[in-house]
Amino acid sequence: MEEKEKGALVKVEKNEPSRRDFLRGAFTVTAGGLVVFTGIATPKPQVAIAQEKPKEPPKDVYKYLFASRKYCTGCRSCEYACSLKHDKVVRPSVAAIHVKRFWGIVDVPVICWQCDDPAPCIKACPTTPVAIKRDPKHNGITYIDKKTCLGGKCNKCIEACPPQFLSRHPDTGWPIFCDTCEGEPECVKACKEQAGNDLAPCLREEKMGLGVNMAYKEVKVADAAKDLLMELFYPSKGGR
Amino acid sequence: MIPKGGYFGKILEVNLTNKTAKPREISDETYRKYIGGSGLGAFFLWNSLKAKANPLAPEAPIFFGVGPLNGTYCTAPRMSVVFKSPHTGIFGDSQVGGSFSNELKWAGWDGILVTGRSRLPVYLYIENDKVEFKDARPLWGKDTYATDQAILAELKDQDVKVACIGPAGENQVTYAAIIVDRFRAAGRAGGGTVMGSKNLKAIAVKGTKVVPIVQDEPFMKAAKAAFKLAVEKEAWQNIKRWGTAGLLESKNWGTGSLVTRNYQTTWYPDIAQIGAEEAERRFWKRHTSCPNCPVHCMKIGVVRWGPYAGLVAEGPEYETGTMLGSNCDVAEMGGLLKAIEACDALGLDTITMGNVLGFAMELIDRSLITHADLDNVKLEWGDVPAMLELIKRTAYKKGKAGQLFALGVKRMAVKIGKDADFYAIHVKGLELAAHDPRGDKPRGISYAFGPTGGDHHSGDSAPTAARWAMINSLVMCTFVAGYPWGPQTPPIFTNMLNPLCGWNMKDEEFWDAAKRIITLERCFNVREGISRKDDVLPKRLMTEKLPDGPKKGAVVTAEEMKKMQDDFYKFYGWDDNGIPTAETLKKLNLEFAEAQIKPFRKA
Repeated sequence: MEEKEKGALVKVEKNEPSRRDFLRGAFTVTAGGLVVFTGIATPKPQVAIAQEKPKEPPKDVYKYLFASRKYCTGCRSCEYACSLKHDKVVRPSVAAIHVKRFWGIVDVPVICWQCDDPAPCIKACPTTPVAIKRDPKHNGITYIDKKTCLGGKCNKCIEACPPQFLSRHPDTGWPIFCDTCEGEPECVKACKEQAGNDLAPCLREEKMGLGVNMAYKEVKVADAAKDLLMELFYPSKGGR
Repeated sequence: MIPKGGYFGKILEVNLTNKTAKPREISDETYRKYIGGSGLGAFFLWNSLKAKANPLAPEAPIFFGVGPLNGTYCTAPRMSVVFKSPHTGIFGDSQVGGSFSNELKWAGWDGILVTGRSRLPVYLYIENDKVEFKDARPLWGKDTYATDQAILAELKDQDVKVACIGPAGENQVTYAAIIVDRFRAAGRAGGGTVMGSKNLKAIAVKGTKVVPIVQDEPFMKAAKAAFKLAVEKEAWQNIKRWGTAGLLESKNWGTGSLVTRNYQTTWYPDIAQIGAEEAERRFWKRHTSCPNCPVHCMKIGVVRWGPYAGLVAEGPEYETGTMLGSNCDVAEMGGLLKAIEACDALGLDTITMGNVLGFAMELIDRSLITHADLDNVKLEWGDVPAMLELIKRTAYKKGKAGQLFALGVKRMAVKIGKDADFYAIHVKGLELAAHDPRGDKPRGISYAFGPTGGDHHSGDSAPTAARWAMINSLVMCTFVAGYPWGPQTPPIFTNMLNPLCGWNMKDEEFWDAAKRIITLERCFNVREGISRKDDVLPKRLMTEKLPDGPKKGAVVTAEEMKKMQDDFYKFYGWDDNGIPTAETLKKLNLEFAEAQIKPFRKA
């Protein structure tokens, strides 16, 4: 069933603002989202969008990852891919994406929401000038100024992070930020590779750039785990 | 020489008597000979134990071993636990998946060797180089799931991985399991019992290090190629889709090796009630996997019907589903899952427990024991509440029934006497797993020659036994390391190992390492008195023909058994009696074993 749905999904242009806002609304209303989304994104308007594609992405468009949490198998291949890309080693403890397993049953992928202004981590940063910067390319929060960041002496951004995403680098003490690999996230590719044969990937390529899964936004990790646990009790077939 | 890559070059030596923990350096030469996991464990076990030593004595070691590939990109998410088995009295080793092994590697250790006995219950907390002995008195008596959760809560860290024992291990039931990640078990041969004898309730570990790699690029290339093989291999597509539960049906309708009613038959038409299709229709809700594994063979679901509604469980897997399902004539999914969950929570080996229950049910049928012998628990075929009651009594060794069941089928048969022995299905004291060798003859090789006894993890021919020894030492999972079999097999491994460890291992050295590991494990068993007479399948499987099913009439004949033995001994260079020859020991650099093995050879 999921495979079919995936086939029907159309890759929507990533940086088209009006469309993004519209879909974001759609996700807020429908938690399940998928079916509605499939219905809207028929191939027809895509042609129109392709023609209207702006040359420079507008400044207020952020790159996000989109995680359909219920498909996460907890394989951590996203963590592997992330550390391989940024540190050239397999080391999940420095990855800018985390998978937390609860009760041995549910797995919660924890991703950066790339919050709108004012981003809580930037707001919480006590240094002058503020050490946490937005990437001017796509406005996502991507890096820290290692000269000004207080590193292990300060915990403000980690405490302020609403998705509880920020973690500390085990060697340097600096917080680890997600740069979405300049728009081509390795974690999404790795997730896609792991999935298949009756299981859809958790990190959705076709929904990247549209935003964080709004159905899950403002949900803490532990609450997300409880949601996923409750979801087990709904009728559905074969873990899909 | 210090290893260049793949290994951290040290294991953690823990002595629970004096509460000391110190690193012990291991040289590259040792690693290259014994690889890690089972192989390295066998080496430690041989050196630190004398023949006929008590497996539950404080000085008996238990080794939690990982291999060079754990913690790298290669999908190798398993850990070997090596010890002398209190259940069989011979070599004991058991593998477990889950996230514990990689975390242990990332903490900078190639293994943990635990000896001694703590006066009070403790658990170990390892965070990279820091090792703490923590009070486990509040955890003692808790089931495995509660223990796991209590430790995570105490350490306030969701990323810590825990391997623990349940009440069965504490109460010294000889087939207690070590449970990882709530649902994964190093179940066979009684590792949990050894942990319990040391008053070691659990090991919690968290690591943030990086596995050193000598040549990054060639290693990644080889690891990715191996990964691709694992993803694309057709056989594993079924595992991906159905988990091992898919085998329940295929072994019944196709292979004819589904163990049913204590090995009376392999034909169980009710299998549809507990098979994968039914599980998918009514039960499964999630796929779950070990680190970096594309197979995601674990399926989790919720029972939403009947007396066990609300139960969140994992399974049924092939072995658990067969031994507690068709073997006990349980044709109800909810009851089966409850029985599996009960064994996991209490820390019992589901395979042995299923065997024991099926054995007892048949003995009641044949009036060799009565319900009075079981404290009036009315055990009948397929009676789940009675099974649950007896599982619980076994874990606590409560009453006559609990005491009896905690023995395992071999010693139960001795205690019951009469011809109960004929119905006790075990090799060297370890109960067979869920494949009937009459329907699936190659599997008989694994049972007859497996170093731990009736173990299904030891290959289905002499050469594949060597591959299994390597898989258990590396420590990989058969679902991803089940690479195509043939001359191309060793290069798949060596292409990864050479750039990882800075070796130049050729095919021949790879085979030699595998043969060395198997032969050393054999030497350990020879020292305990094992020889050709013990490498046989149970009498029932060699005399009683299968009454129905696709392999109707099949039986393992004495000639077939003799051929299996001859072929196996010849391949490994053992003599007619199954004792490694002096030349073989010399060739495999195992000269140190010669003095102790010599008395066992016929003059």
